[in-house]
Amino acid sequence: MSRQTEIEAMIGRVALGDRAAFGALYDATSAKLFGICLRVLNDRAEAEDALQEIFVKLWHNAGRYQVNGLSPMTWLITIARNHAIDRLRARRKAESRGGGDMDAVADLADAGPGPEALAVAASENQRIDRCMSELEPDRAAAVRGAYLTGESYADLAERHGVPLNTMRTWLRRSLMRLKECLTR
Amino acid sequence: MTGPGDQHEDDAVLAAEHVLGLLGGEELDRAERRLETDPDYRALYAAWAEDFVSLTQDMTPVTPPVRVRNAIDRRLFGARREGLLRRLGLWPALSAAALAAGTYLVVTNLDLLRPGPEAPPFGAEIAAEDRSLVVRVAFDPDAPEMLRVLRPSGAAAPGRALELWLIAGDAAPVSLGVLPEDREGRVAVPQDLQPLLSQAVLAISDEPAGGSPTGAPTGAVLGAGPVTRL
Repeated sequence: MSRQTEIEAMIGRVALGDRAAFGALYDATSAKLFGICLRVLNDRAEAEDALQEIFVKLWHNAGRYQVNGLSPMTWLITIARNHAIDRLRARRKAESRGGGDMDAVADLADAGPGPEALAVAASENQRIDRCMSELEPDRAAAVRGAYLTGESYADLAERHGVPLNTMRTWLRRSLMRLKECLTR
Repeated sequence: MTGPGDQHEDDAVLAAEHVLGLLGGEELDRAERRLETDPDYRALYAAWAEDFVSLTQDMTPVTPPVRVRNAIDRRLFGARREGLLRRLGLWPALSAAALAAGTYLVVTNLDLLRPGPEAPPFGAEIAAEDRSLVVRVAFDPDAPEMLRVLRPSGAAAPGRALELWLIAGDAAPVSLGVLPEDREGRVAVPQDLQPLLSQAVLAISDEPAGGSPTGAPTGAVLGAGPVTRL
């Protein structure tokens, strides 16, 4: 059985309330998902809380797997990434309300390897990396920023110092070019 | 001019924005609905999700601390001991009566298994109430492929065998094989069961020589005990 099929089988059994399968799924995937929480949140305690909530969610929602046609690891990573991003956005909001400490927000955005560094670190043979490298570096960075740190159009516009609508047009055009490259 | 190609292109961009989390409000609600009802849109969404997930490929996996796992178990399943009793209750062969009459859940005297300072820190005792059968199992959590088994008292009935079972969560018992005839021996643990071991319950049943012919316990359950830190 391939790892992919194994994980799929575990999710199927978790959907039926199989605790042993849930434990096995945790053993097989928690390190990867924790790595993602740590990278997105850049705070160990918060990443631990996020991971806890992610697995509680997985236990309750395993039956929804395959609703959106994702492969098992992609489904798990997407849930983890989305959850971590939601927490990060809530934190940003709380911090900007609490005295408008924009420096702290900027520090958060800068924490960890930046989008550019990640771009360099990414393996060359990945389709997405090849296609990202066909975009202008700042546009590729915007796409990565949206995916890896959950930046909204408004965040991206501010970071790149362009009006919101310009950002939107930029990014949409970049996504279209990305799609064109990915389906080539 | 809006042809079907443009529509597809618009949808492709929409699906990308959806995966990136750039949609909000009504736009997001509409996209969520399409995900459930529109197979073409779903395919676009899935393709983007797969592509963007590869951006996480370079994020190093980090083993989370054990407390996270414990907190999840507490939140979902309540206290550990309650969980154990429920798990046992779900194995019909091991009825409440059998549990009361036939087993000790108390781990005692496991010092016997400690040959030296690097003693295996995990194990279980599986014993009949009248101590006519006592089996102690221990293993090193860093090398769970081999269980050390001691049988200070008791033996299989003539022509019968003692079979060791692993019960993980609510799952059916999985055989770890027939216990060696010698009082001291080793039992190999298949690789896929090794990660389950430290949270499992071990049990012994009376089976025909060579072990259960069905893959599930067929004879009397002689004892059961949870794996704990020794």
